[in-house]
Amino acid sequence: MQNLMQHFEIIQKTPTLYALHVSIETLFNTLHHLRYQSDFITLSQLTCTDWIEEERFELGYMLTNLERNCNLMVKCFIGRDDVTVASVVTLFPQAEVMERELHEMFGVGFEGNDTLYDFALEDWQDLPPMRREFDTLAYVQSHYDFRDGRDDNLDVKEQIKIRKAAAKSAKEAQGGA
Amino acid sequence: MEEGFNAYRQSLESEEQSIKSTQSVVEQAIAWFRAHSMFVLAYGTGCGAIEMPPTFTSRYDIERLGVVGVATPRQADILIVSGYCSPKTLKRVIRSYEQMSDPKYIIGLGSCTINGGMYWDSYNTIKKLDDFLPVDMYVNGCMPRPEALIEGFVKLQEKIRLNSSEAGYIKYRDNYAHYRANQERLFGAQVAPSYEENFAGMN
Amino acid sequence: MERKTITIFHGPQHPGITGNMSVELELTGETITKARTHVGYLHRGFEKLIERRTVIQAFTIVCRICVPEPDPNEANFALAVEQLAGIEVSEKATYIRVMVLEMARLAAQLLWMAGQSGSVGLGTVGQWSIYDRDLILDLFEALTGGRVYHMYIYPGGVRRELPEGFLERLGALLDYLQKRLVEYDRLFFDNASFQKRAIGVGVVKSEEALHLGYVGQVLRGCGLKRDVRRDNPYFNYAALEFDIPTQSGGDVFARALVRRAEMRESIKILRQVIAQMPTEGAIMQKLPKHRKFTLPKEDTYVAVESARGEFGYYMAGDGSEMIRRMQVKGPSLIHGFTLLESLLVGEELSNVALIMNSLGICPPEIER
Repeated sequence: MQNLMQHFEIIQKTPTLYALHVSIETLFNTLHHLRYQSDFITLSQLTCTDWIEEERFELGYMLTNLERNCNLMVKCFIGRDDVTVASVVTLFPQAEVMERELHEMFGVGFEGNDTLYDFALEDWQDLPPMRREFDTLAYVQSHYDFRDGRDDNLDVKEQIKIRKAAAKSAKEAQGGA
Repeated sequence: MEEGFNAYRQSLESEEQSIKSTQSVVEQAIAWFRAHSMFVLAYGTGCGAIEMPPTFTSRYDIERLGVVGVATPRQADILIVSGYCSPKTLKRVIRSYEQMSDPKYIIGLGSCTINGGMYWDSYNTIKKLDDFLPVDMYVNGCMPRPEALIEGFVKLQEKIRLNSSEAGYIKYRDNYAHYRANQERLFGAQVAPSYEENFAGMN
Repeated sequence: MERKTITIFHGPQHPGITGNMSVELELTGETITKARTHVGYLHRGFEKLIERRTVIQAFTIVCRICVPEPDPNEANFALAVEQLAGIEVSEKATYIRVMVLEMARLAAQLLWMAGQSGSVGLGTVGQWSIYDRDLILDLFEALTGGRVYHMYIYPGGVRRELPEGFLERLGALLDYLQKRLVEYDRLFFDNASFQKRAIGVGVVKSEEALHLGYVGQVLRGCGLKRDVRRDNPYFNYAALEFDIPTQSGGDVFARALVRRAEMRESIKILRQVIAQMPTEGAIMQKLPKHRKFTLPKEDTYVAVESARGEFGYYMAGDGSEMIRRMQVKGPSLIHGFTLLESLLVGEELSNVALIMNSLGICPPEIER
């Protein structure tokens, strides 16, 4: 770890979790270096976070070391639209399915992974569902019918106001009497 | 007038008598046999499937009521849709249901089959199962206890014995166009082949 | 003579499948030449739903991510939120959490035993072990009010005080289970019909196991001593004594033996918890109000050891009361794809259910 910290700007988040930010150009080479020159030989998770207000995605490659007691998260900001990232299937075979999932859920392309077919959804026509601009409630309302009598997501502020006013007036009436 | 369990039993018996007077002895016998040999298709479509092993094994032992699990739809009488259905599952559920032979019944297990339950704002679960398939009995809860499932089976037995003409498979046959339209609306071009021609030759 | 290859779907409607998923198999005769996993039958979009909910609202749905074993999800969620919001948990609450997690492990192992024995045609084991699992669920009901979904381990502590006489009931149940485990040995683990099916089937290569990210019994079954409770301790596992059982075979039988020993370890941990449980102390910290419960713009990764291996959550906050992103990493994702697809090649069709059960693949946590 000390050795790696000299090479890269690694931030320590918790005693066992480290983070490293790299640019999209150096992403593959960094992962390659870590895979073959360091202890971090396992890719255990591939995450993606949508920062829509900053117009970028944040990819996170969670690497775990040989002893399984330390995690290093290699993070990389990428654009939100028409972005292709180099696939890491050659380094980590398990990345194949993780990339397939992110491709479906966010629309991120992975160059070099030719198995980017359907993962969980079948015949999905809409936007990739995990993007922030995809509104799941609007999709539900346009595609599915609810049974009558189900009231969800109501704005209860008005009701609370009325109830509070009623309680207040009742108290006042009591105090007056 | 008695109270409690006895009153309930008496009201059931009197109701049963009035209905039985409209059925012949053979019809009564057939309905009794049907109600006490319910074969359940082993298809755990959702999380409700986790309460089915306790129901079917030694503690709750639903085999007392003649309920047994079978592996293939061709032998099954009951399809338990155990929870939320994504469109992808629903396609397979419909196909499994259509392969089952009449008489066949559906139990919707869990609140999410009734009105979406916890997943009311999820883009990938259907909210009303009876739009697509004729549900005979709903068991609510998240998740329903084995006792609730047993209660559902008992009520279904009652329904089979007393109101056999209201069974779901008859409804499905008579209103196939309605169910088919809903299925087509949800699945679009990916809908399964029509089942209608199989109705030919039936009463 | 030219041999014909046929393609069949094993699942989703199949009694030998672990949950609602399917494996597409290419067969030459009885031998599998290619396997491809299909999931998505249970996709509910949890990660999307959680983005729309406040911390307290999200808490009620996280336990539904993995059905046979919901408690590691609650623990992960609580750990991640506590880490991001900087909440400390009292000692008593930590002990109760460890107790709940170990009870859940025990219940999950008993459920696994039913599935594994069913896949070789030993129906009796399931009748016994599901009954014994139900006795644990009874205790869960007394403690939390729910049989399957508990919604108990909450950010900041646990939701309810231990009921009166609970630890005595738990102790009595552990005595009972300890006796039962001996009978399970005779009924299942020493049973020739299981051993003949399981030995030498589904062998995982130990040299690639760490690199490909396998976890849990798959690793320990091929001799690699890895366990999150020991390597990366959470709650107060560091203070508890327990062994990490390993086997060297790497096959279905080795994984079964690891699980058999783990049940005994869980009982050992639970006995220590009963002995050391603090009698005094709060179980819940004071939390900010519902709408003011915000998470800073930070991210973290937490993991606990579930009954099937490492269960991790990545969580990112954005300064608002909603969670920006929560991504689940269950043990089944890699096991169900990378491992299963390679293990099945060359196996016979009748071993598919056996291997799937021994890997403990649980589809709801693959696709969420």
